[in-house]
Amino acid sequence: MIEVERLSRLYGSRIAVNDVSFRVEPGEIVGFLGPNGAGKSTTLRMLTGYLAPSSGAIRIDGIDAVQSSIRARARMGYMPEGVPLYRDMRVHEYLRHRGQLKGVPDVAAAVDRCLELAGVADARTRIVGQLSKGYRQRVGLAEALIADPPILILDEPTSGLDPNQVRQFRELVRSFGGKKTVLLSTHILSEVEAVCDRVIIIREGQKVADLVPGDAETSLEEVFAELTTANAGQEAS
Amino acid sequence: MRSAWVVLKRELGSFFVSPLAYVVLTSWLVWNGVWFWMLTEFYARNAVSSGASTPLSGFFGGSALFFIPLLVFVPVLTMRLVAAEKQAGTIETLMTAPISESSVILGKYAASLVIWCVLWLPTLVYAWIMSQHGSVDWGAVTASYFGILCLGAYFMAVGLLMSVLAPTQIVAAVLSFVTLGVLFTVGIGEFVLDGTAREVCAYVSMLGHMQSFAKGVIDTRYLVFDLTLAVLAVGLSIGALKARRYG
Repeated sequence: MIEVERLSRLYGSRIAVNDVSFRVEPGEIVGFLGPNGAGKSTTLRMLTGYLAPSSGAIRIDGIDAVQSSIRARARMGYMPEGVPLYRDMRVHEYLRHRGQLKGVPDVAAAVDRCLELAGVADARTRIVGQLSKGYRQRVGLAEALIADPPILILDEPTSGLDPNQVRQFRELVRSFGGKKTVLLSTHILSEVEAVCDRVIIIREGQKVADLVPGDAETSLEEVFAELTTANAGQEAS
Repeated sequence: MRSAWVVLKRELGSFFVSPLAYVVLTSWLVWNGVWFWMLTEFYARNAVSSGASTPLSGFFGGSALFFIPLLVFVPVLTMRLVAAEKQAGTIETLMTAPISESSVILGKYAASLVIWCVLWLPTLVYAWIMSQHGSVDWGAVTASYFGILCLGAYFMAVGLLMSVLAPTQIVAAVLSFVTLGVLFTVGIGEFVLDGTAREVCAYVSMLGHMQSFAKGVIDTRYLVFDLTLAVLAVGLSIGALKARRYG
């Protein structure tokens, strides 16, 4: 479970995230939607302990993520935007390294399991830096899954994937429904409709909507356009 | 500390698969090989005037030629420690893993010390060569290597701190080069100045440090200086990495 209360983050004097509150229930898959630069990544970075909030509270399964950051981080798998990886390592070496770092007990079995789950078993011995973007993306996903965390935070997880890979990814995330808590950011509306139980829309650092896709009389696309018009042009580019 | 060990393993692995490692190690050995050969030539030709000093004591504590490659290679070896993670963005995955800043810094610092030892290990051959052609004062050799280890403890810590502070590897390398260069230059004041200024410079002096150890004299003043600076730089590195979350 993720609980966020009145979260704000300043970069210098610029407000990136402004008084955002929301909850993600256990086993729920929630889409975090917003135009580019709306504060999605900043919010996810605060949830995962990469950035400290300027104010507000974050609780991960009841653990204060600011005070007990390490304990909170141990409960999360995180795939950052752009999927940074150690390019000089082989895929299985990288996953083993990350597994050890996260204190996974049986690392060899965990590596096999997450390679299989993310669909990169065939790239097992390849060097990360030589992989295509789609493969690297899935290695990042495998890394997020290595410790079998109850919570997954995915920042634009499908960018760079081809349509088949996107479909596989969505099936995988859907299969987590009820078992893992998933918060994924995206600006692809069809993705939200395909996999998410609920959607939170933010704009210019503020939460502007918290709704169940399909519930609204109008389509999600229209809702999104209406709520984020100021940035709609920027989004299209 | 288990996670510091994991960080250390990863750091060494990545260093020894990089071409940088072999470029540095090769040029380092060529430089020192030529320098050591020149010393043995000099002592062979000037046996009478050389007095108590030997090619080994000359090598470890003789001149600035010992420090010139170090002032260049230490920044090159330490620049990547944290700055490379920032440039590649992997700092984000590293710092969102359930490990503390101290584990990251201590793991990386330990890795840099191992690299430092790897740099010096081949020079043991010089002592072996000398032992084949004359007597070697093994006490002085041991003290020399101990001195080198202490020097490395603070050189690598300074390089690590700069790598934490700098946004890119190049900036980290330049900052460490300038810092070590200034410390080296201040140390030379030992041979130029008088009075209190001389005392202060002598305390910092890398040359004086190695001259003392090369003679087999373990001077605790130098040890205190080396370890103080090492602990300070490592501590500041941990602090700076923690502060990053608020930036």
